[in-house]
Amino acid sequence: MIRIAAVGDVHVDKDVVGRYRPALEQLPDRADALLIAGDLTRHGTVEEARCFAEEFGGLGVPVVVVLGNHDHQSDQQDAVTKVITEAGITVLEGTTTVLELRGHRLGIAGVKGFGGGFAGACASNFGEREMKDFVATTEISSARLGEALRSVAAESDALVALTHYAPVPETLVGEPLEIYAFLGSYQIGQAIDSAPTSLALHGHAHHGSERGRTAGGVPVRNVAHPVIKQAYNVYQLLSGEVDAPLVGAA
Amino acid sequence: MTNQLDLEAEIQRLLTEHDRIAEQGITVQHRDNVVILGGEVESPQRRDEICRQVSANFPDVEITCDIGITRAQAPSEVEEIS
Repeated sequence: MIRIAAVGDVHVDKDVVGRYRPALEQLPDRADALLIAGDLTRHGTVEEARCFAEEFGGLGVPVVVVLGNHDHQSDQQDAVTKVITEAGITVLEGTTTVLELRGHRLGIAGVKGFGGGFAGACASNFGEREMKDFVATTEISSARLGEALRSVAAESDALVALTHYAPVPETLVGEPLEIYAFLGSYQIGQAIDSAPTSLALHGHAHHGSERGRTAGGVPVRNVAHPVIKQAYNVYQLLSGEVDAPLVGAA
Repeated sequence: MTNQLDLEAEIQRLLTEHDRIAEQGITVQHRDNVVILGGEVESPQRRDEICRQVSANFPDVEITCDIGITRAQAPSEVEEIS
């Protein structure tokens, strides 16, 4: 059994430093890792990234994140990634990490993702260059997620997809229908279903719903902070598995 | 004169694009002659700044600020995924 904590859309700046910390100090007693589904900052500045690293760094458990659209606002996403990485936090973008937790291997693949919409109301790669660029961004991001998930599937006991944008419309319920196409894409869901994914986590939709499932049956959780209304949620995976002692543990 | 729907759209853009706000999760509803701002933000300072900026940019509009601060306590329960 492993337990992962998750939250998204924490939007850290100077005014938020210290707000999460009391709950984060308790996190190692409640979960084996923390995953954060993007929008780590308000405007994606280096200063805000330092605030995020201060608030969410040094927890005593691995912290794995993807960036969100807010983290791109200042066009400093590479510098933001550098600051956060230097604080010991793993930033995924089309990449993977495998964590050893209680003798189990947790594979995590992450991308920011992008919009595009869902069945009945999705954008097409057609027409103006701007429209084709919009849809191509989603296609490329989704393909990278699928490749990343499949690349670690064989070595993972449990596999988690971490994105900012939503892979299914069910977890957007509560948002205006008119903006679904800016909140996620069915192609992210297809990427998640292309691998034996155990759980998909996303944020971005502050007024959405917590629970959904992909067409292929993978559980999806919208962990945007205003949706879960607490510092983080905790999800238990591999419940039936007997934990092996950690290598090197006394 | 700006109609009601355009006014809501303009307030939404201000909430997202204003440097000191950058919030996409605020709802804007018109009821009678009052604009009601809803949703949640991460700090009281952010809520107060939103109300200050919307009032300053739309001085002829009566604003009610129902924005809450998202709680940040540790969870008491675990969900088993199957």
